[in-house]
Parts: sequence; C-alpha cells; structure tokens
Amino acid sequence: MNFVVIAFKSLVHNLLRMFGFGKGVMRNDLDIYIKTNTGNTLSISLDPAWDIKNVKQVVAPQLGLAPEEVKIIFAGKELKDTITISECDLGQKSVLHAVKSKRKLQVVPSEQSVIEEEDVGSKPLSETLQDSKFYDQRDEKLSKDIIQRKVHFYVFCPTCKSLRNGKLRVRCEICKSGAFTVYEDPQNWDDVLNSKQIPGYCENDLCQSKDSYNSEFNFAEFFFKCSDHISLGEDDTAVPLYLIKTNLREVPCLACGDICDPVFVFPCKDGHVACLECFRQYCSVRLAERQFWQHPEHGYTLSCPTGCPDSFIQEVHHFRLLTETQYAQYQKFATEEFVLRSGGVLCPQPGCGMGILIDEGCKKVACVNGCGYVFCRDCLQGYHIGECESNVDTSNAAGCVYSVDPSKAASARWDEASKVAIRVLTKPCPKCRTPTERDGGCMHMVCTRAGCDFHWCWVCQTPWTRECMGNHWFG
Amino acid sequence: MAALPRRIIKETQRLMQEPVPGISAIPDESNARYFHVIVTGPEDSPFEGGLFKLELFLPEDYPMSAPKVRFITKIYHPNIDRLGRICLDILKDKWSPALQIRTVLLSIQALLSAPNPDDPLANDVAELWKVNESEAIRNAKEWTRRYAMDT
Repeated sequence: MNFVVIAFKSLVHNLLRMFGFGKGVMRNDLDIYIKTNTGNTLSISLDPAWDIKNVKQVVAPQLGLAPEEVKIIFAGKELKDTITISECDLGQKSVLHAVKSKRKLQVVPSEQSVIEEEDVGSKPLSETLQDSKFYDQRDEKLSKDIIQRKVHFYVFCPTCKSLRNGKLRVRCEICKSGAFTVYEDPQNWDDVLNSKQIPGYCENDLCQSKDSYNSEFNFAEFFFKCSDHISLGEDDTAVPLYLIKTNLREVPCLACGDICDPVFVFPCKDGHVACLECFRQYCSVRLAERQFWQHPEHGYTLSCPTGCPDSFIQEVHHFRLLTETQYAQYQKFATEEFVLRSGGVLCPQPGCGMGILIDEGCKKVACVNGCGYVFCRDCLQGYHIGECESNVDTSNAAGCVYSVDPSKAASARWDEASKVAIRVLTKPCPKCRTPTERDGGCMHMVCTRAGCDFHWCWVCQTPWTRECMGNHWFG
Repeated sequence: MAALPRRIIKETQRLMQEPVPGISAIPDESNARYFHVIVTGPEDSPFEGGLFKLELFLPEDYPMSAPKVRFITKIYHPNIDRLGRICLDILKDKWSPALQIRTVLLSIQALLSAPNPDDPLANDVAELWKVNESEAIRNAKEWTRRYAMDT
C-alpha cells in the first residue's frame, strides 16, 4: 500500500511540473482518499486548483481505465469534469469515489445520451442546495444575495463537543457505500431526515441491491460530517441539529429581541424564534426547575416557551447546546423521570439515588447494583414488616434512660437532619408522591413536577374540591 | 454584576419613551433590574382615583423567568394578599418569555378592573366579594381612599 502512495506522490509531482504548477509556490494540498468500486482505497494529494478532469487522469491508470471511463462521485453527485477541487466542499481525509462509467457500454446510445455526455455531472449536493429553498418554502421576496446563499447545516459534533457547521453527505441505504448518486435533490428536512425519500443509484458492485431485480432504484441515506475537524473516517459523523436554522428573514429573538444568526426555531405552528443564547438560557432555567417533560416518544424534552400546543422538540440532541455539566444533569433527570414513569423508584439513601425497576406488588426493595440499602417501596424508609408509619414518631425516645427533648434528638441525627426537615416541611403530592413544600399562599396546591400538575389540597391531602375551597382555602 | 441584557435596556427605553397610559415604571438608580411602579386605579372600578405603588424586579433569568411584582400600597382585592403578593397566572406557570414588563403591568391593571374571586389569594376578601359584593366594593373604595390617595 505504501508503495502505491509513494508512486502516486512522485506521479503527482511529475504531473504538476508538466502543468506548470510546481514553481516553488506553497500549495495547500488536500490529502484525500479515493475508493474504487472494487474495494480498493488510494491515498492521494490534490491541489485545490485542479479540476475533476485532472483527478480522473491521475486515478484512471490505477484502475486500469481510460480517464473518460471514470466517474468521480461525491456527496450524492457525479462530479463534472470542469469543476475544481476547491468548489467541492472537500476536507482533509475526505473520501471520493471512483467508479467505472457504464455509459460507454451502452450499445445503442440515443441522441439524448450523447448530449448528456458533453457535460454530465454537477457539483456535490452540499454545494448546490440553497438556504432559501431549504429553510424557507414561502414565496416571499428575499434579496438575491440571500437566495443564492449556499445551504448551511448545523450539527452537534461529538469530537469537537460543540455546535459546528455540518457537511451533508450521501450513502446507499443498503450497503452504506458513498458511491451513490441521487436522482433528485432533497428539498427540505423531511427528505433528509426520513428514510426512503430520495431515490438514487448505488455504484457499489458488491451492494446487495444488485441482486434484486430493480437494482437501478435504491434509496439514499443522508448523514452529516463536522466541517471543523479532519475526518476520522467514514464513521465520524455528526448529529444534525435541524431546528437550528439560518435566519434568512432576520426574525428577532422572542426573548431578547436581538436579530441573530443562526437561530433556534421551535417546532410550533408559528415557528417561534429564539437566539441560541436565549435557547440555552431557556433550557438551563427549565432544567434547574426540573420542568422538562418525559415524552413517551421523543424522550426528556421541552416545548415552545410561549406555550404553543404540540411543539415538543423531537431531536433531544439539541440539548447538547447546554454545558457538559448541565447535559450530565439533563441525562440524570431524564433517567430518573423514566424510572419513575415506568413505575420504578429511586433509592432514597442520600448520595445514592439509583433507579430501580420493581415488580408490581413487591414491597421490599433492595438497591442491588447501588448502595445495597433495603427499603420499603411505599414509605421509602428502611424495610419493615406491617403498615408504614404515617408520621415521624419520636415518642420511642420516652424509653430512653436520659431525658432528651425528642425534637432536638430528631434534628441532631447525622444525615437524618435533612430527612427530618423534608418530613416536617413537606407533604407528598397525593398523585406522584413528590415531597412538596408550601411557602405561602392558599391551600390549593398544584404539583410542579413536570407532567404531574395534580391539583390537591394541602390540608386534606386529596384532590382539590369545592368543599376545600369553601372550608379551608386559607387554613 | 453582569452587564444588563440588551432586552432589559430596550424595554426600559420603550417604557420611558412610550409609557402605558395610567402606568409609570421607573428603574431604580442603583439597580436597573428594580422598577418603581405606579398604577392608577382604573375608571369605573372601586380603585378609581387611587395611585398604587408596586415594586417590580427582573430576576437573573429574566425573560426566561417571570418578573417578581408586589403591591406596596395596601389594597382590598381578592387576588392580592396582605403582603401585596399578586395571584396572576402570567406571573407563575403561564409566564412566557414573549411577555414583557409592559404586558405584565397592563395585566395587573386589568386585574384591578376585573377581580377574580374564584382564584383568590386573600381569603376573607374573596369570601366577602362572593357573599356580599356591594360591601366588598365599599371596603375596596374605603381602602383606596385611605391608603392610595394620601399623597
């Protein structure tokens, strides 16, 4: 393999001299890989000023083909001979696909295919899509500059651990090969995010689709790469944060009123816009108050802050915009909420909090993979036989030899202090049992735990009724 | 102290340039997040003719969290308790960052015009408002005269 690389480098240099590039000028060579449909990978160095025709001349001999017989495929498109490398959205260590063109083999070329032969191919998909088409389907007037702007994609890059510009890439839905050309361009996010939207053709000879009778018709799978770091290989992908959009019509942020770019667009009917800073703030405030929602399909998420219906954020990776610490907390809360929603309990031992899923009707719970504490499912105290004690019972201190004020004894217990405080100051929500503190106002309680929202009476510890309202609204 | 967010600066400027009729909100000289508010009692309400002082504070998280608002002037109203705390949904769970100081103060003014004894904060007041509305209104007028007109 090394030998191939070295042979290539010298070849490239010779070629350069031939074309008159090698005049001692510093060039930013791109080291890229070329994959062939026979499964080989070549490593070559390209000058960004080269066009695709140059590339074909370099690659063809390696494949034992004439340059005209080679197709170069990248990001869902066969690249046109006349476009240059710099126009192709390639980064260091990008992968181009070189395949043998089947056009030449056509026995009876029709008139049309001859015309096609002249200028077949185009630029890569990521270079031809436009922000205005992708983010704005309305037929309103936008200035020409904006209409012609190249599409921007935003991703969360797991390597850079932050928001980055993303590069759209295409592969075969079946064999995952990048030697895939699309028959039509995606027009919106649905085309990109959902499977089986955009048909295309897989050039990989080893693809299973070749066995099926309709091998000309396959579906594209879209994915994203980070445009910031050098690609670590074909599996180095990034999650698209599709609610982050280019602010084409300069919509001000609903919270701070500033016009920013890019912006977060909530998935509500009105498409409320927040700048990324305010979106982060919204998330961190909601997180601190534990007001995220455990949605059965989308996970632990938020909806539009102006209260629009059906506006849950479905791609929870958007919450990666939070800091690492906050995201860790987000994951903790999400897991806890999931356990609670599934009828499980959290280990009550201070500092443990392990989520435990238990069988229906089982009262004795042991924190097996956590701290080992054995407790009662109902009252979350140490396990006991018989009924749970409803209140803190400090009267057993009466049997002590020393006479100690029971309340002082209760509050002086190591680690017990906070438990006691919680017991004295709070009452559990009758529905979800979340300890609740009443810090003023009337007796009409509304459970603040996200998703519970139960209305209850502080005095009766039952659902809030007209009777409660009449008898002891204020105690 | 962190720099004042642009949104607060903008809102303050607008409150100064185009004040809401019947409402004045002036930021404190030493704390731009604290506003001295005066709301005039709405016409045809028991609070007519009164000038009610309130304090409004924009917490660190504003506008993600609601402003904290409290009546300083004593007022006889079923949704405002002895400490001046206000029972108004947009100050609690119905808060949205799209709302502003201006809209909050307008809502409070509207609450003076239309007390809601079904969602009370002051029990005795609410009780009376439901049982004997005319007496409650008499009390409200009396309190307005006594506490909101002495300047």
